[in-house]
Amino acid sequence: MFTQKRILAVLSLVLVAAFALGACATPTPIEIIKTVEVQVEKQVEKIVTQEVEKIVTKEVEKQVEVVVTKEVEKIVTQEVEVQVDVPSAFATAPFALGDLKVRQALAYCTNKLDLIKTVYPLVAEDQQKALIMNTFIPTSSWAYAGDANITIYPFDAEKGKALLDEAGWTMAEGSEYRANADGIELALKFTTTTAAFRKAWAAVWEQQMKDCGVRIIRLHAPASWWFGDTTGLARRDYELGAFAWVGQADPGGRTLWACDQIPSPENNWEGQNGMGWCNAAADEGIKKAVNSLKLSDRQAAYTVVQAEYTKDVPAIPLFNRTETYAVVAGFQNFKPNAGTSYYQWNAQEWEIPGKDTIIEGFTQEPASLFTLVEDALVAGQAASFISGYSTTDHNFSFQARMLKELSTLDSGLAQMQEVEVKAGDMVRDASGTDAALAAGMKVVNTAGETVEFTGAPVKMNLLVVKYEYVDGLTWSDGEPLKVEDMQLYWKVRCDRENGATSFTICDMIKEIAWGEDYFGYTVTYNPGVMDPTYFLDPLGWYPAHRVLSDGRKLADVPAKEYTTLPEIAENPIGVGPYVLKEWVKGEKMVFEANPYFYLGAPKTPNIVILFITSENAEAQLLGGQVDILDGTSLVGVTETLDAAAKEGKITIIVEPSATWEHIDLNLSFGQ
Amino acid sequence: MTGYLIRRLVQMVIVVMISAAASYALLNLAPGGPTAGLRQAVQGGRNRITAEDIARIRAYFELDLFLPYRFSRWLIGQPRGPLTIFGREFFGDTIVGCYQERMATVRYADGTIKDISLGCAQDVTLGDLVGRRTSNGVLFGDFGLSWRLLRDRPVTMVLASRLDRTLQLISLSTFFSLVIGIPLGIYSAVKQYSVFDYVFTSLAFMGSAMPTFFFGILMILTFAIFFKNIGLPYLPPGSATAVRAYTIPWIGTVQPESLLDHALHLILPVTVLTIVNISGWSRFIRASMLDVLRQDYVRTARAKGLWERVVVVKHALRNALIPFVTIIVFSLPGLFGGAIITESVFSWPGMGRLYFLALGDYDYPVAMAILFITAVLTVIATLLRDFLYTLVDPRIRFS
Repeated sequence: MFTQKRILAVLSLVLVAAFALGACATPTPIEIIKTVEVQVEKQVEKIVTQEVEKIVTKEVEKQVEVVVTKEVEKIVTQEVEVQVDVPSAFATAPFALGDLKVRQALAYCTNKLDLIKTVYPLVAEDQQKALIMNTFIPTSSWAYAGDANITIYPFDAEKGKALLDEAGWTMAEGSEYRANADGIELALKFTTTTAAFRKAWAAVWEQQMKDCGVRIIRLHAPASWWFGDTTGLARRDYELGAFAWVGQADPGGRTLWACDQIPSPENNWEGQNGMGWCNAAADEGIKKAVNSLKLSDRQAAYTVVQAEYTKDVPAIPLFNRTETYAVVAGFQNFKPNAGTSYYQWNAQEWEIPGKDTIIEGFTQEPASLFTLVEDALVAGQAASFISGYSTTDHNFSFQARMLKELSTLDSGLAQMQEVEVKAGDMVRDASGTDAALAAGMKVVNTAGETVEFTGAPVKMNLLVVKYEYVDGLTWSDGEPLKVEDMQLYWKVRCDRENGATSFTICDMIKEIAWGEDYFGYTVTYNPGVMDPTYFLDPLGWYPAHRVLSDGRKLADVPAKEYTTLPEIAENPIGVGPYVLKEWVKGEKMVFEANPYFYLGAPKTPNIVILFITSENAEAQLLGGQVDILDGTSLVGVTETLDAAAKEGKITIIVEPSATWEHIDLNLSFGQ
Repeated sequence: MTGYLIRRLVQMVIVVMISAAASYALLNLAPGGPTAGLRQAVQGGRNRITAEDIARIRAYFELDLFLPYRFSRWLIGQPRGPLTIFGREFFGDTIVGCYQERMATVRYADGTIKDISLGCAQDVTLGDLVGRRTSNGVLFGDFGLSWRLLRDRPVTMVLASRLDRTLQLISLSTFFSLVIGIPLGIYSAVKQYSVFDYVFTSLAFMGSAMPTFFFGILMILTFAIFFKNIGLPYLPPGSATAVRAYTIPWIGTVQPESLLDHALHLILPVTVLTIVNISGWSRFIRASMLDVLRQDYVRTARAKGLWERVVVVKHALRNALIPFVTIIVFSLPGLFGGAIITESVFSWPGMGRLYFLALGDYDYPVAMAILFITAVLTVIATLLRDFLYTLVDPRIRFS
């Protein structure tokens, strides 16, 4: 009997049961390790603090080696026999990955274009080819080394097979897979998520490997395990692992490619170098790349890292995903860009002839427009209509918008000074933490060497950057933007009770001088701060003059109240192209043009964000109820969309996404 | 009667409390939660997340308190600090939670690695709770603040934004299901084994067998997309209202948020829900009627020469309705809870979809509010059902 109540009840039960199961079952996707209950008489050395002694009385079973936390001085460990039972259907040969020839062979045997065709069949072939990744930096990025400076592995199965033969993995007569002299089959476990997208290309890749005689045992694990805090990737629990990285305008990479970023108990599982790749030149290169501020130095350093990376093959970069947008026919000035999700950057230029309202479909509703606390993409996108952009990051590079120009060293707006630091000064230490300088701390001096502070003065780099904004920035209520508004932002930003996640920005700034003869401010960072994105303005603004519904001025409201304040979370004002007129929860956000926008009035008077479901998104577009859909509501180019585009009803735009797929090779098994 | 009512009310309170405690515990013990993924978040140069940051955010969501205290604060808004009697504070040092655990990583001989807790590095005491934000407790009508969906705004605000849409959808479809389903069922039973009965029974089976999402998408493709393409009057493909005016052949221009606009948007989802309901309910009525029609007293009624209509409506139907009352009454929580799948297929901003989003986004205050209200409505429906029984069948008495 299908009553409403029963449907609800059954669904609730299913959900509750799923949760309950999830709570009870510890995911053990790779191997079931049977730990035998062993009673151990714990011997713990006398530990200094009172608190730690609690653990002496506490029965802690069967540990062998304890990685000491800060508070615990030392815990004596005892060898314990733990029986391991690996009921694996196949014994794999992960040690093969330690051999460069095997890794190169895997790269040669991979036909990236075929993988792309599997997942993006309706994308034009030249666009498909443009998606191929050669290294860990997208080819359109400023940091890309250039084809000539790296080793490229075009699909060449014969070359791959030859390399495997050379490495001692040969194909016996009549067998499907290669084996070494000991008769061990070349089988490798491949771990990734359960996403249909990955299952699709992984199945093809498995076949490509089979063609070269490599057996791939695919394991599609739940994302909660694969990306868990203490499981899967975070614990290097894989042989071959596939997932995606999001390319940034600033490529960073320190946590990925440096030797000290290989997660292990010894470093408290810090770092993302799960491959365990440690190459001296690359290690030096990546540190240089993220610790230099001059673009040319950084390019050179990234080139070195990419050259080593492609030579050593710690991972096989595959392809960029695509970002699909669909807009109604006739939509003008819709200009999404590779590398950024903020395609609303030029909303003031959007236009559909004959329509005074543009409707954008969102499948997720912003939780709050207080973007300091709410970091979901949709919140940022919706808020950007109101706030505008001070900078953008198109095509893996940065552009100034409301900022007069990027405050780079070359522009003269940023300066690097030498400063002598002494004990007690706030500095950024070599590990990137901002703290008061004390003896024993390691810092980077002006020569770029990491030195231990002993009490004797050390010379460090000091970054001073001036940020200046364009003229004419005006709040949508007509009040000009003032320095007080920025000061209010800074006060709220650094109040630990504001609900924000990270306060690094507050800790890394030594002082701010507010502009007197220019509109902006000058920031002096802590000595040692070498933030590669130093040229982006670190501050925003709040309308200090705004009077709240209860009569108070925004400037007088404690930061703690901001997250619940309607004038901040629901109806903020800004200096951007649009003003939020109405937010009907669960249904839509209605924006109208800001008459005071500094670039002139927007071309379309109204923009509406309509909250729809992904199940209903295409129908809404084809039915004429929405004008724009982006990649969060579209699964890609479907046949329905393709057909509508061919009939001229809609336009489909496919851009390479900043997100790219790759297969990581866990090298530790071979070492 | 009064004694019966009091007994029932006490039972109802106990049932609601148990269900609230069980669902609260299940939600909170499940893996995930608002801090999930923080450690894996992008650690950009300007956004590093430290262990201290994570502890602070845990405390922000009260996740540092032990579950019973959290539940009690959710239910009745207590404890908020030490017990104060005549200006003196008691139990100020009672430990009610752990702000930050001391973790250690242990490597076993077989190479497996595990994080274990070595106890609490910083306890939370009752005294620490002073000044923390908390709701007044759901028992006093305060469902607290939303965690995710409408961050830090009252849960009641989130619920209110969806309630009238859900009421519209579900009440209309329930109404049409009753008005159409009951006569269909009766007719089909009275004319058993007729052509109509066969056709109707087959259609009802198809209706029950067809998944709502498939049925919904089929309707959209036909009546919204296909009809529009061939120039026939079409229906909107989804949402509760339009944003801008649109023109429908034969009907003309429809202004957004006009009565016509509302009505047009309701047609498809109401139809889907109604058809699914009718196919179930009418078959139920049919079976129930068939049972009754075979009874001796019906034969007696016919034998004494009553009109067939009187026999069916007055004698048979009333008795056939008794089991049906249960179904109708239990659609009451559904009025509040909405229809998850239909709402998703039609982008209908209703309660079912909200519940689904709340679970997916770890917005436990919202999910708990929906579960709690649904539980309350369910026990009320049970009571109502027992009252209705006495109305439908005077032989039933309370004892």
